[in-house]
Amino acid sequence: MRVLRVVGVIQGYVWSLAKPLAYFGVLWLVFAHLLRTANQTEHFTLFLLIGILLFTFFSDTVGVMLPSIVHGGSILRRLAFPPILVPLSASVGTCITFLVNISALVVFIGIGRVSPRPAWLLVLPLLAELYLFCLGVGLLLGALYVRFRDIGQLWELGVQLLFFASAIFYPIGILPGWAEKVAFVNPFVQIMQDVRHAVLGTSGPNDVTAASVYAGAGGRAIPIALALLIFLGALAFFRREGRYFAERV
Amino acid sequence: MASAIEVAGVSKSFLIPHEQRTYFKEYFLHPFRRTQYERNEALRDVTFSVEAGEFFGIFGPNGSGKSTLLRILAGIYVADAGRVRVNGLLSPFIELGVGFDLELNARDNIRINATLAGLTRRQLDARFDEILEFSELERFVDQKLKNYSSGMLMRLAYSIAIQIPFDVLLLDEVLAVGDESFQQKCFATFERFKVEGKTVVLVTHQLDLLKGFCDRVLLLEHGVVSAVGAPADVIDAPHEGALVG
Ligand SMILES: Nc1ncnc2c1ncn2[C@@H]1O[C@H](COP(=O)(O)OP(=O)(O)OP(=O)(O)O)[C@@H](O)[C@H]1O
Ligand SMILES: [Mg+2]
Repeated sequence: MRVLRVVGVIQGYVWSLAKPLAYFGVLWLVFAHLLRTANQTEHFTLFLLIGILLFTFFSDTVGVMLPSIVHGGSILRRLAFPPILVPLSASVGTCITFLVNISALVVFIGIGRVSPRPAWLLVLPLLAELYLFCLGVGLLLGALYVRFRDIGQLWELGVQLLFFASAIFYPIGILPGWAEKVAFVNPFVQIMQDVRHAVLGTSGPNDVTAASVYAGAGGRAIPIALALLIFLGALAFFRREGRYFAERV
Repeated sequence: MASAIEVAGVSKSFLIPHEQRTYFKEYFLHPFRRTQYERNEALRDVTFSVEAGEFFGIFGPNGSGKSTLLRILAGIYVADAGRVRVNGLLSPFIELGVGFDLELNARDNIRINATLAGLTRRQLDARFDEILEFSELERFVDQKLKNYSSGMLMRLAYSIAIQIPFDVLLLDEVLAVGDESFQQKCFATFERFKVEGKTVVLVTHQLDLLKGFCDRVLLLEHGVVSAVGAPADVIDAPHEGALVG
């Protein structure tokens, strides 16, 4: 029995890694070997893996929060409790998966011989910001989905566009200056570049962060403020709509 | 005596959209079209109160707003106007099947429901077996609820509702699909609640139940309170609108 349980845990672990690693494998093959982007980028493997893990976390978290009220909301018709618990508990699962996935990153960091630096601690507040951003988008779309049942399709399109626009598999430095400025309005891009910078240090494309693009450390204020604004706006909207979830789901 | 439930001037209407606008696309394609809504007044200026320890019945035709009223009492729906006060802990039994995740088994559903209703983990562990025992569903605890019969679902829902600590119990058509033996079991719990001084609000179409258990009954017709009083007076009095059931 115990052996079976251990096997089950390992299977679960491999399963949760399957999706990001599949993305990673394909993109790595194409960009590191066929297009040789890797030549311009030190630690291209880690650079790519960080981007993919963060993006998978973002898209999965929003992806489970979006339908959570409609699909899991039947209990809202039976009991009175704060409806925000439904999307929040849905997000717990993707958080756990993400923590598990980070362990894969640790392995690659070991292989890539990146030595530990104090700057790694910056990753914690950055992840907190990312979770806040996920919650904002997830609560907003989750509440909208109760009214508009095609929000799911719109989100699928949006997430594709974001994936290609977010400099996940190419160095953001290849964008023209104005496009960089636009890209860094997106809190996800700011977070991802700051994480890459913190983990990998100043190597090539990791140098480009919100701070450098908007001239000054205060430049981060724009995407951070946006993430905060989306979160607070979504929270207010969710509160207002939440009173009527029970009769609409 | 203090009242357990006070309802004053409660109104609730629902909008019936005459063109379906549940897709964002439609707002994009026809941004200036206003949706035509019809107002459906489910409850209009409902006022009554229930004393602590009272066994209170509500009846009326289909669609007269009984379940809506109970949901407002339970805080599940918000009233458009009026005031609702419930003194004490409340446990709702809302219409059948609602609130269960049919893809999960009974074990998980009991845990989810009881936790959201405010039971601590220790309380839940202590009461889990009692819930199963009362519902007599021990054999089916690991079966998905989508494969339960409606009577089995009702047993489960009722067993959970009465294991949550409460002062006020709301029961919506609880006996509609129960078999004879479970009905007898439920009646026994009704008697117990009376002795324990619990407040019970019972919605039913079975007039003999209202006569047998209720101290007072309320007749709801088209969202309006038509009569409140002793069961014998309200039920046997002639009133407009045929009663169903
Ligand atoms: N979530 C909702 N959205 C729109 N209309 C609703 C909703 N819930 C109830 N209604 C409407 O409110 C009215 C009252 O419904 P309700 O379920 O309270 O009736 P009821 O008295 O419980 O009937 P029954 O005896 O059949 O159980 C009905 O016209 C119903 O269509
Ligand atoms: Mg009803």
